[in-house]
Amino acid sequence: MSHFLASIYYRDWILHVLVVLPLLGVVPVLLGDERSAKRTALIVTTLEFVLSVGLWWALDPSQPAMQMVSNTPWIPNWGISYRVGLDGISLVMVLLTTALMPLSVLASYRYITVRERGFYALMLTLLTGLVGVFLALDLFVFYIFFEVMLIPMYFIIGIWGGTNRLYAAIKFFIYTMAGSLLMLVAIVVMVWKIQASTGYLSFSYDHLLEHAGSLGHAAPWLFAAFAIAFAIKVPIFPFHTWLPDAHVEAPTAGSVLLAGVMLKIGTYGFLRFAVPFFPQVALSPTVSRLMVVLAVIGIIYGALVALVQPDIKKLVAYSSVSHLGFVMLGIWGGTLQSVQGALMVMISHGLSTGALFLLVGMLYERRHTRLIEDYGGIAKVVPVFSLVLTVVALSSIGLPGLNGFVGEFLVLLGSFGTYPVATVLATTGVIFAAAYLLWALQRLIFNRLDDAENEHLADLTPRELAVMVPLLVGIVWMGLYPAPILRRTAPAAERYLEAMAPRPQLPETARLGAVPAAPAAER
Amino acid sequence: MIRLDLSTPWGVTAALLPEILLTVAALLVLLVVSWRHSTAEDSRLAGWLSLLGVAVSAVGLGALWVQGVEAEGLAQMVALDPFRYAAAALALIAAAGTIMISIAYLERERMLAPEYYPLILLATAGMMFLAGAEDLIVLFLGLEVMSVAVYVLAGYNRASPFSAEAALKYFLIGAFASGFLLYGIALVYGATGTTNLSLIGAQLAGRLPPLMASLGLGLLVIGFGFKVAAVPFHMWAPDVYDGSPTPVTGFMATGVKAAAFAALVRVLLEAFPSAAPVWQPVVAGLAILSMVVGNLVALTQRSIKRMLAYSSIAHAGYLLVAVWPGSLSGAGAVLLYLLAYGLTTLASFGFVAVLGRGGERDLSNDDLAGMGATRPLVALGFSICMLSLLGFPGTFGFIGKWYIISATVAEGQYILPVVLVLTSVVSAGYYLPVIMAMYMKPAPAAARYESSRLSPAAAGAIAISVALIILLGVWPGGLLDVAAQSAATLTQTGRPLAGP
Repeated sequence: MSHFLASIYYRDWILHVLVVLPLLGVVPVLLGDERSAKRTALIVTTLEFVLSVGLWWALDPSQPAMQMVSNTPWIPNWGISYRVGLDGISLVMVLLTTALMPLSVLASYRYITVRERGFYALMLTLLTGLVGVFLALDLFVFYIFFEVMLIPMYFIIGIWGGTNRLYAAIKFFIYTMAGSLLMLVAIVVMVWKIQASTGYLSFSYDHLLEHAGSLGHAAPWLFAAFAIAFAIKVPIFPFHTWLPDAHVEAPTAGSVLLAGVMLKIGTYGFLRFAVPFFPQVALSPTVSRLMVVLAVIGIIYGALVALVQPDIKKLVAYSSVSHLGFVMLGIWGGTLQSVQGALMVMISHGLSTGALFLLVGMLYERRHTRLIEDYGGIAKVVPVFSLVLTVVALSSIGLPGLNGFVGEFLVLLGSFGTYPVATVLATTGVIFAAAYLLWALQRLIFNRLDDAENEHLADLTPRELAVMVPLLVGIVWMGLYPAPILRRTAPAAERYLEAMAPRPQLPETARLGAVPAAPAAER
Repeated sequence: MIRLDLSTPWGVTAALLPEILLTVAALLVLLVVSWRHSTAEDSRLAGWLSLLGVAVSAVGLGALWVQGVEAEGLAQMVALDPFRYAAAALALIAAAGTIMISIAYLERERMLAPEYYPLILLATAGMMFLAGAEDLIVLFLGLEVMSVAVYVLAGYNRASPFSAEAALKYFLIGAFASGFLLYGIALVYGATGTTNLSLIGAQLAGRLPPLMASLGLGLLVIGFGFKVAAVPFHMWAPDVYDGSPTPVTGFMATGVKAAAFAALVRVLLEAFPSAAPVWQPVVAGLAILSMVVGNLVALTQRSIKRMLAYSSIAHAGYLLVAVWPGSLSGAGAVLLYLLAYGLTTLASFGFVAVLGRGGERDLSNDDLAGMGATRPLVALGFSICMLSLLGFPGTFGFIGKWYIISATVAEGQYILPVVLVLTSVVSAGYYLPVIMAMYMKPAPAAARYESSRLSPAAAGAIAISVALIILLGVWPGGLLDVAAQSAATLTQTGRPLAGP
């Protein structure tokens, strides 16, 4: 595979193509007629996925540094260039994005019935923004991608969303923008301060990372600005109120991408920017305690609120708050396991929650209700659907052998040494997750079939199966054999830990079997 | 590079080439309309002739700019530097856009008195004098020429009592503001013995200004505060913007504001750089008040035109943030933001002028419902304008805001940029509902406004503006350089030149 990729100079063009291809796809979607829009979008997103798969082999897992970096001057006098590159963290996030996108498009085939061209054009624009955010290595470019993807999502929620869509759309937009504008000021301040000390004006990530240590007393403020922007995006506990509205009102594809990818931009931002730039602030006792406490509150609060939701989509939405709490805990856990675990939770939450939203959407297309109490006993009517839902729910709970377990276990294992009390509390989140999902499962597909309307539900169509099967494969694969993923993210995680150093590390023997296999163990 | 001796008649004539060409054009159009001033055709003819006049003046301006004409020795009376050329170009762009939007508008609203166009040209000439003045007296004359013409334009819709109210209010407040300016000029003259900006700068160099000069400076700032509608001198703006014919509102929000800001920057940077500790807190206060009040009050507006009026107050606040550093890069940011804001505002008022009919005063968001489906291009263009005003990445408005933040942060000031971005978030609360109405609400069964078709001229002006908003938003590189270089030519005798 590597030879083939090298023979077509894959590493030279792939990142640019991944960013540009969806935008080019917008043109045929808009020019074609309404009915062919979805097919065009499906072709473009599938092509994007196929192209991106090569990254898996193209990335050299033994290198911790950014790879395939390319630099095109954009506004040279201001030190801004279009700079993209890839490491293990970006790799898995990009693959998650490109994999979920064709599935979302396929899942929208029947859900979206009006103004289809507009919808699919926005989906493709969104794809550009999402891929760009994970590849950007210039803070100006990162900021642009970070903001620009708000627009397609704003329209996707606002035009094709549920009854309360206008409120949800504007709330989503304003919350995110409030945080990101503060980050913009922080970026500019950082660049100017570093320019003052080095004499070199540049928005390049590496340059800023190298000299961020010289920021002195400005660092806490700058960290706060970055942290608020990303905390809203994650969302961390007190900033989470936009999430249930946006996730519930968005059409299925929107919810999948919101939960599956966009939330991860927040945690990605912490991993890539906020913590490595300002480790002395992020790891100061006050800040790290605060973040860990908020993470644990998120885990437990999200789970408890999910427990009482009558609306299945809201339940899934709140479960995201809980899962993302694990990611935050892992990021601050400060060991290789916890950081690797955080990354695994990011990916597996993308798959499981994405799948849950898709299933909820399929149910909604049939009955036009999302209230759990309207269902019951449908396992007899729709056995395949029920089987898939059960597997996905179990993976979300964290059943060993499925993907959810790997990440959460690593997070808990890795964080225990650093924050024992918080970790023990967080463990209850896993139990609550079992409670809310199994209880919902029971009320949805088991119990008695007492509503006549449910007696004639149609089971999954081939198209819907085509959406779910890839996700199920991913869920099982990640659960049984996560080592290839861990091997690729390990160098990047190590690099992150070096930025955080010095931190207590668990002894070598305590590491999971998969991890020492990583080349990073040589260090 | 050509050097002009401004003490010779030939030198002054050459230096004022664009202004003279524009004034001659205004007089010629006036001559033409004195014979032909009754039918719609006459009005259109005057419009196109005026546009031609603007183009001729622009050629003259371009000649000066490209040749890099400079003054021999000290510039008397008028400046000869790229900052003046850039500011004059802004005025000409505002005039051209306004004329193109007005041609169909005047016909539709039955305002068939073609003297409208010469007034626009004369106001533009006044703006160019104001923006290029190197002497406080010339500055005052330019301001008056501009203002008197705009007073008349504000009341141009004789059938509308609101238009009359607008004109009267604008006139009274304008006279008041002129009074402040004149007192300020007198006090500054008393303190320094000169009205030439560079000489004032030299007089005051290296020390805090004496009390009399400080008082004069304060009165000058108040006078400019009225002209640019900064809070707390903004009370007139909503009613005047609201009552005036919409293209005139656009003209006021872009041209008048651009010229006044250019003059303010020149006065503060050339004449009072050493007095920065005196005026910086004042400018910062005005900026914060304008951003906060403008944005918060705009939130509560129902009429789009009035909302844009308040938002223009907020934008004056953003511009004052760029004035605050008193640095050359701040001046560059003012120029760039004026262009970004000007293009966007022209297009926005153009849309309002087209969409409303018979008094677009109460055109509200509800009237736009469903536009995304019924008139996709108009909705797309208007949405882009709203995003640019919001300062969203990918639009020119973002580049402008980003430049302002950069210029301020470079001087070690962090509070103003933070207020700027936080109030920008507030502004999303009134810009987004416009987009929302167009795309996310169903079209009403019977539209209250039968929105009219875009005339080719208006469509052209709006399309060019919107295209530029996007293009310059994505490739701002060259323009950033032009803005920085233009600003770098302000002569600062009062303090050593700093790099951009």
